[in-house]
Amino acid sequence: MTATPIELHGLSKTYRLGFLMNRKVRALDGLDMTIAPGQVYGLLGPNGAGKSTTIKIVMNLVQATSGTARLFGKPPTDTAIRRMVGFVPENPAPYEYLTGREFVQLAADLGGVPQSDVRARTTEVLESVGMTRAADLQIRRYSKGMIQRIALAQAVVHRPALLILDEPTSGLDPVGRRMVRDFILAERQRGTTVLFCTHIIPDVETLCDRVAVLVNGQRVREGGVAELLSKSNPQMEVVLDGLSEAKVRSLGRTLDEVQTLDTRLLVRCRDAEAQQLVAQVLQAGGRVITLQPTRFTLEDLFLQALGEAKHGTVGGEIL
Amino acid sequence: MIRSFWAITFNGFREARRNRVTLVLAFFAGLLLLSSSLITDITVVTFDRVLIDIGLAGMSVILVLLSIFLSTGLLSREIERRTIFMVVTKPVSRGLFLVARLAGNMLTLTALQVLMGALLLLEFKVLRTPVTGPTILAMGMLWFELLLLSALGFLMSSFAGPMTSAFVTVSMFFVGHLSGDIYTLARRSKNEGLQVLGKVIYYVLPNLERFNLRGQASYGVDVPTKVWVASGVYGLAYAAILVWLAVLLFRRRDFR
Repeated sequence: MTATPIELHGLSKTYRLGFLMNRKVRALDGLDMTIAPGQVYGLLGPNGAGKSTTIKIVMNLVQATSGTARLFGKPPTDTAIRRMVGFVPENPAPYEYLTGREFVQLAADLGGVPQSDVRARTTEVLESVGMTRAADLQIRRYSKGMIQRIALAQAVVHRPALLILDEPTSGLDPVGRRMVRDFILAERQRGTTVLFCTHIIPDVETLCDRVAVLVNGQRVREGGVAELLSKSNPQMEVVLDGLSEAKVRSLGRTLDEVQTLDTRLLVRCRDAEAQQLVAQVLQAGGRVITLQPTRFTLEDLFLQALGEAKHGTVGGEIL
Repeated sequence: MIRSFWAITFNGFREARRNRVTLVLAFFAGLLLLSSSLITDITVVTFDRVLIDIGLAGMSVILVLLSIFLSTGLLSREIERRTIFMVVTKPVSRGLFLVARLAGNMLTLTALQVLMGALLLLEFKVLRTPVTGPTILAMGMLWFELLLLSALGFLMSSFAGPMTSAFVTVSMFFVGHLSGDIYTLARRSKNEGLQVLGKVIYYVLPNLERFNLRGQASYGVDVPTKVWVASGVYGLAYAAILVWLAVLLFRRRDFR
């Protein structure tokens, strides 16, 4: 049986700040999370929600204050397990004095790619991210999009089973964003497990199997994207004709919103109300033109979760 | 593990080679060494002695400056620019990363030292100054001083910023060369506290004068094998302790 790529239990992190280290900020508060093999898992949240801290703990860049993190069953401090992991940090900063090719080769050497395969593997990944032509230029000459491509190439040169990306599309133009999305989809096709965090919601909606929403270091939603959206689909939209607004309101149903559209009426209400409303409208001699669920996006879910959170703010909780 | 070590070490060497500051310093080092031959115009009797002394001192100053510049800014620069994120997240322990980075620095310094040493010997040959054993030994012992200063710079830079690290390392360079004098002065003092302080400075802080054989080189005085071997071992052991402390601190550090 394949080991679980990522398991987090009660993960907490409190940063100590200030010259005397006496100011505390709780970045993560008892996070539980499991990512199954082959999943593309999105971590959503506003700035300071704890997304990057989670990833940094998993990558052993930061030590958890309490709780456990496991990568394929091993702690993040186990250096050998990192052979199975590829990582792209937020705003990646490869060594500027190296060329793109040299940097990917360095990553291949460190990632344990057999010596005889380093050249071929480097050429292959550079091609896969569209960097063949610029591969021999020094990285200091690269644009942000090109640096992101090199960062992706170095993350997969050793063919990891798990890919962790911190804000991979942030600051990229539409072409760059599209490239990153295609890259993640290609990795998913290969069976790679992907964890990425972002606050760009359409990316999560397009790419992820599962998603967790973090607010103030706590997980406030978790589930499959479709499941979360269907669960959170509270409203129906009914377009009626042949009845006045006053008449519709007098039917005794709880309506969230009524708008007049020329001769028609657009009514938004809860699902259970909508079924009875339709029956009553037909009985009263009106016509039902359309009846459809309102589209509830991940963005709505995200904002709803943020609104429900204790502080609904950014930057972690100051203790 | 060995492959990762060499990959990081050679990358450090490559970084220094492509760094303009290193190149400019190396160029000026060459100029400085060659300019020591100008003393032919101002000294006749003690020409060989002065040439050896100035040549070795020039080499020492340049390499010490470079070792402090390279070591004190290296880790903090890696952390500040976040280049470290893409290396320590590879199957590489932080300890290995730190030791390999130090080895990269030492490789750069060694290459420069060999080049400068060769240039100096060539100059001696052209000016018919005899090359003695103590001169070669003085060049060699400088390497241990560079190692110790680099290790100290790394230790500082594993938890402090580049300015603090540079300040402490430069201070330690001066204190390290003066610790013998400080001890002698403290011993003569009537204040007991000062005597203890002098002893602490002498025994705890590095004694860099042990690696300074320029006087013996310029006067052609042989240094007993026991003395320079003991100094070398002292340098290696002291550097090992500093690196061990640096690894301990660096392993626990959060990279935000």
